[in-house]
Amino acid sequence: MSDGQQKKTFVITRFDPDRDDAPRKQAYEIPVHPDWKVLDALNFIKDEIDATLSHRWSCRMAVCGSCGMMVDGEPRLTCKEALDQYGDTVDVAPLANFPVVRDLVIEADGFMEKLTSVKPWIIRAKELAVEEGPMRQSPGELEEFKQFSMCINCMLCYSACPVVANEPEFIGPAAIALGHRYSLDSRDEGAAERNEVFRGEGTVFSCSFANECSEVCPKHVDPAAAVNQAKLNAAIDWATSLVLSRGGSK
Amino acid sequence: MKHPLLKLEPLIWLLFGQGILLGTILLTPWVLVVGLGVPLGIVPAEALSYERAIALASHIVGRLILLGLIVLPLWKGVHHMRHSFIDFGGAERDALVAPLLYLLATIGSVLALVAVVRI
Repeated sequence: MSDGQQKKTFVITRFDPDRDDAPRKQAYEIPVHPDWKVLDALNFIKDEIDATLSHRWSCRMAVCGSCGMMVDGEPRLTCKEALDQYGDTVDVAPLANFPVVRDLVIEADGFMEKLTSVKPWIIRAKELAVEEGPMRQSPGELEEFKQFSMCINCMLCYSACPVVANEPEFIGPAAIALGHRYSLDSRDEGAAERNEVFRGEGTVFSCSFANECSEVCPKHVDPAAAVNQAKLNAAIDWATSLVLSRGGSK
Repeated sequence: MKHPLLKLEPLIWLLFGQGILLGTILLTPWVLVVGLGVPLGIVPAEALSYERAIALASHIVGRLILLGLIVLPLWKGVHHMRHSFIDFGGAERDALVAPLLYLLATIGSVLALVAVVRI
């Protein structure tokens, strides 16, 4: 492969808020190796050709969730996608449905706010005292939520979601899946609190079940299932709250 | 933006969900029986004679089934229309369109209720 090494052209969306009025495209033709991922090509461009290119990445093994970008128009983890599945020209753009900080780097603050709004931690009415020992959980109880806990917050599902695109206030797939993951946890007592968030301004009922989130999820979390289970739980919780008034609850 | 309807979303979604269930489970065989079975002679036409049909529809269970079959798919329909409208770029006007569509479904539901009671 040393002579006549394969080349590919990367058409990358560039945007410098200090200099550009609008994002522009810049093409780089580079030699590529057959075993490269998309991220390797971006790192090559940054290291060897254009140090001004900004992109986010960290672990290189589809765990940290930093390197999500639009590759040929689809939200992908660039460290996970083999380059040989793409053609001679590869289009790389920042994740859709997010404000752009610079080049391929998006602003994740909105997502972080949504994530904390669903209280993705175990809520207890009263903490167990240390003497009472650990809270036990059976394998069956673990299985209830385990799938939804595999989310790495890469935000690909937000880029793929047509509802996020139209209604920016929508809580969105990953945050709902993570909130739902805690509501399903046998140790948790916060489902009622989360159901109120799920029925609030960014309501789960905005989801029109396009299922795109589950299609693009690199960890096979199936957020669409979580969103729909969350809808049912939020609706049942709403109906029961009409009949039974909950002490202290609105 | 969705304030006027936010509190009713769970109810609307339940009606929509039941509409899908009924639409899929009951309306499909109904179309098969009435639209294909009877014309093709697979189902005897007298099984759906006026006397039998009115007897079925006049029974309390028959009335309830009829009401469900009319009302729930109606809610399913308007809910789909609302979301299609949003998908085609109408999210800005959802606060106007959604109450209008659900008002239509409410009127349809009341009319269906009156019709079913008067059978």
